[in-house]
Amino acid sequence: MSSKNDSVRLRSGAWRISLWATLAFAFGTSLVFAGLHRFVANDIQRRSDAWLSGEVEVLGDVAERTPKDRLYGRVVSEVAELASKEVPDKLRSGDSEGESENDSVFFLQVGADGSPQLWVGAGNGVANLKSIRASHVEPDVPFHLQVKGFDIPFRVASVRMDDGSSIYLGLSERDELRVLRNLRLRFLSFGLLIVLFGFAIVFYTTRRMLGHVREITEAASRIGSSDLSSRVPTTQHNDEVGNLARTLNRMLDRIESSVHQLHTITDSLAHDLRSPLTAIRGKLEMYLSIGIGVEEGEPIVSAIDELDRLTEFLNTSLDVAEAKADALRLSRTEMELDELIRVMMDLYEPSMAERGLRMQLRSAGPVRVFADAALIHRLIANLLENEMKHVPASCTVVLHLQVENEVAKLVVEDDGPGFAEEICSQVFEQRVKGAGSKGHGLGLAFVEAVVRAHGGVVTASNRAEGGARLTILLPCGMDHHEQEAAPVAVFAG
Amino acid sequence: MRMAYHRSMQLLLVEDELEIQGFLKASLADAGYVVDTAGDGKTAESLASVKSYDVLIVDLGLPDQDGIDLILRLRQMGVSSPVLILSARRSVDDRVRGLEQGGDDYLTKPFALAELLARLRNLLKRKATATTGPTVLRVGDLELDLLKRRATRGDEVLSLSPQEFVLLEYLCRHAGRVVTRSMLLSEVWGMRIQPDTNVVDVHIYRLRGKVDTEGREPLIKTLRGVGYVLKER
Repeated sequence: MSSKNDSVRLRSGAWRISLWATLAFAFGTSLVFAGLHRFVANDIQRRSDAWLSGEVEVLGDVAERTPKDRLYGRVVSEVAELASKEVPDKLRSGDSEGESENDSVFFLQVGADGSPQLWVGAGNGVANLKSIRASHVEPDVPFHLQVKGFDIPFRVASVRMDDGSSIYLGLSERDELRVLRNLRLRFLSFGLLIVLFGFAIVFYTTRRMLGHVREITEAASRIGSSDLSSRVPTTQHNDEVGNLARTLNRMLDRIESSVHQLHTITDSLAHDLRSPLTAIRGKLEMYLSIGIGVEEGEPIVSAIDELDRLTEFLNTSLDVAEAKADALRLSRTEMELDELIRVMMDLYEPSMAERGLRMQLRSAGPVRVFADAALIHRLIANLLENEMKHVPASCTVVLHLQVENEVAKLVVEDDGPGFAEEICSQVFEQRVKGAGSKGHGLGLAFVEAVVRAHGGVVTASNRAEGGARLTILLPCGMDHHEQEAAPVAVFAG
Repeated sequence: MRMAYHRSMQLLLVEDELEIQGFLKASLADAGYVVDTAGDGKTAESLASVKSYDVLIVDLGLPDQDGIDLILRLRQMGVSSPVLILSARRSVDDRVRGLEQGGDDYLTKPFALAELLARLRNLLKRKATATTGPTVLRVGDLELDLLKRRATRGDEVLSLSPQEFVLLEYLCRHAGRVVTRSMLLSEVWGMRIQPDTNVVDVHIYRLRGKVDTEGREPLIKTLRGVGYVLKER
């Protein structure tokens, strides 16, 4: 039961819809996050640029005012050191804190001739100078600097002094990158969470919606020719699904009323014909019973026989007509085909033997079907009578009975002349019969009608080795409906 | 054929078609029943409320109400007599099936008179004796031992197939009474079919070949257009 439920869930269209919706949702969220990321990155850069510009100006000021004596280097270095301690970002790396050699900030003064004059920072500044020389520098605009030997690039601001020398103040982008990395991490996990949540919501709602659709489908498939009175479940919502259910039900109302009309017509036809038949037959029988001789009685007896044949013809015609309109009324019970066929063969065996026919049953054991017993009895009888009427003496009729995938398969074969070429494709049509046939041409039409009313298929063919073959496939029952009906409750809420 | 125990049997026939009512009444009277007739449900109700009938024959298509409703109403009124339902309808209503299981019987129009009479007798017999029958059936010098499943004619043991034994047993149980082909089909084989061909006749011929051998008095008789009867003389 649960595995059946699972497979129903897996086949649901809700997966596809939720997947597409989630993809669209994920794409939208990542666009928003990309925009936010860009904005934050720009903002951080602007702040650090503002700090850099301010500091480099102060340093330039200090450098200009300090006399170029022995103390010049010390004074400027200290000011630069001090500046590096007030790096604007609080997220400084712990290992660099408190160390005199600060690798997140550097200070470089380059003379007018391009030679380094003063260096404060990690290393000796040669690599930094080289990189600065290599890059195109615009004064007063902070720029990006990748230094050989450092994984993380610097942001550098510069100021040109009156004496032609330049002062460069560099700030490592390490903290900025770390902030952005953290931000991305959070965005990613948060986004993933939102997308999953969105998927769940979309899946749940489409699942519920499609659950209603599936309920309708299942209910509609249960409404067969034998049961037109049930209706698909409706919801009180005025949405598409509710409309679908109501439209289906209106359609069923119309079908039911036309089928009802058909029944009324066939019933009254049957009634109107049967009542006079009853009266005629009864009167004829009364004449017989007053004890007239065999000679005088003969025409009456044959008239009664004709009446009985007429009645049977009437019954079968109406059955076939109703079945063609998918309106044959079934009253299903559980029955066992193997035993039924054995009894039926027992009944027909003497007649067959009298006509010089042999009969065999090859059955794989009991076959249970949920079907209309009276109709199935007549179906088997029709099949055997059909063989008796059309197969010449000393032939063999073989019946094969087996079950394949919940479908009962009955094959009737003979080694007679087979179906005539001109009628082979239409043996199940009413009134179609072989040239030499004495029947009324309803036998196989009735067989097809009954099989169809039970949701089965019957095919006629000629065997390659000669003779006719009729194959009847009959679903074993309504079990699959009952089994499929159960999961409806899961999503009915 | 008049039979003594039928004479006092009171029967109510509810049928609106006057022609059918006419010949049924005549045939039933001829068979020894005292027949009252009603053309609609109301008349039937008032008749049944003042008189007690042994058996009722009710047609389902009455002008004023459905035959099943009439039967259910009569049951509520305390009428417990068995009912033989006649119907010209095509499908057997589930409610009719219900009544059938309750001990009533059902016959589709058109029917053989013999069958109607046979079913009436069955209904009355069912009412009279619900006890188990004898274990040995005798008709003339034919004897069926139901326990040993052995049939003898005089001192000769008949070699019958199990199916032939069941058929002969049914004929013996209804000895002296007509059994129709459709009765044999439904009671012996359990089939409600009306074959185009003479399947039942062939069984009877075979059985007759074993039971009524040369030099013995024939017991199984054919009533043409009606059915068979097993009887002496």
